Amino acid sequence: MRQSSLLPGGFETLEPFAEFWAADTAAKRAHCRDISNESSRQDFYDAAVRLIPLALEYLDTRPLAELGDSEQRLMRLVLSFGHVAMAVELQGSEEAEHAQWRPFMQITTTPADR
Amino acid sequence: MNELHQYQKPESAEALALGTDPVPAGPYYQDDYFALERESIFKRTWLNIGHVCELPEPGYFIVRELDFANASILVTRARDDVIRAFHNVCTHRGTQLVATDSGKRSTFTCPYHGWTFNNTGELRGAPDFERFYVEKQDCGLHEVSVEVCAGLIFVNLDPSPTQGLRDFLGPFVDQWEQLPVARATTYSEYVYEINANWKLTYDNFQENYHLRFIHARSGGGGAVGEENPFGYPIRYGFHGDHRTQEIWSNPSPVLSDTQKFAFGKLIPALMQKDALQHPFGRSYWATFPNLFMIGTPTQPFVHYVMPVSARKSRGVIRLYWVGEDTNASERFGREFSMTMARDVHSEDRRVIEAAQRGLNSGALEHIHLQSQEVLLRHLFTRVDEKVQAYKKALAGGAV
Repeated sequence: MRQSSLLPGGFETLEPFAEFWAADTAAKRAHCRDISNESSRQDFYDAAVRLIPLALEYLDTRPLAELGDSEQRLMRLVLSFGHVAMAVELQGSEEAEHAQWRPFMQITTTPADR
Repeated sequence: MNELHQYQKPESAEALALGTDPVPAGPYYQDDYFALERESIFKRTWLNIGHVCELPEPGYFIVRELDFANASILVTRARDDVIRAFHNVCTHRGTQLVATDSGKRSTFTCPYHGWTFNNTGELRGAPDFERFYVEKQDCGLHEVSVEVCAGLIFVNLDPSPTQGLRDFLGPFVDQWEQLPVARATTYSEYVYEINANWKLTYDNFQENYHLRFIHARSGGGGAVGEENPFGYPIRYGFHGDHRTQEIWSNPSPVLSDTQKFAFGKLIPALMQKDALQHPFGRSYWATFPNLFMIGTPTQPFVHYVMPVSARKSRGVIRLYWVGEDTNASERFGREFSMTMARDVHSEDRRVIEAAQRGLNSGALEHIHLQSQEVLLRHLFTRVDEKVQAYKKALAGGAV
């Protein structure tokens, strides 16, 4: 697969983040946050924060069941952004400490997983 | 603060009648007290273990473990659409019948000797059965009392419950049936194990005193604020063994950019599904002994704390939603809502375990409760009444 086809047009700047952050279940996305370091979270956050509203606007134009691979990947990045935003915007310097405790709350299922 | 906040004193006569003395610490860690709770409360009270959306059609089943009773419960929906519950135990030699936690199947075959049961509980067939000395109709799965309210499935291990679920829930029934949970078709779930007593765990979620200290970053400041820094509820309610509070709503909550954005994305979907506007948006129901529910439309969670032993429990937290994700925005809003709640609850879990470690030392004989902790006092009072009555009955040879 060519690098440029990873995400729909207009969202190419997020492609470097897809491999790590576009995990396919909520539990895996939470895990990505847990094992990431501060700079990788900040880099993803900075690159994504202005694109998230545009991504949702784009994805909302089609039914979820009909999303293609690149659109599905974009959806997962948007979902991961929510996890990262909790770390960057709210937990801040406490995130590393907080990450020790979150895994005890095991996500078993969400509508996005099904 | 020099002056008492308008909510700092519980207002009802029932609350004041609970007194102000400290409560004993032993019941929060001692094995013998827990053994009495198990017999006098958990084996004879309605307990939420799931939701009808897990059994959307005939043939679906779920299995739930009730560790405190060493019990495994099989819940089925048969062709007649009736939801039934059974001990997940083959009536031949006691083998656990179903090893998975959910699925779709109309019959269940014991892995040991092939006894097969219908999902209505009857023994359908068993190899070489004519060599047994019993009739098939006497070999059905052992039923467990099960009832549903607002979509929530409750079981009761008492073979003859003293009251039905609706009588047990009293005024909550009409309120819950107006909530989105009654129409829920899906949910987000996270679960936890905790080295803590079930009451100590549950109590954390019955007071807002801790919010500003434990959830200063993650909590969003929705229930505390400048004019109510300790998050006193607007009112408390007491309904037999159950209790309620109306959570104070900060008119100017401090929300992060993504919190505002995510809830903004979720709200249109909630409106479309008529799940945003209901009279219970700031209501909290604490249902005896171990269930509570919050009416907040954007974080509509149901949480139960199931005891395992005196100092170990398991929690299940579900955000119930109406309909599958209709679009990307709703999907994002739902996952963010769960993520935020999970951050908060992980902070709770950590501090509850620390409290349990302290109590386990035996250093404290009593626990001091302030006015806002009146719901904790009410739970302890109700638990202790049942424990003492059971002890008395035991001593008198009545049980």
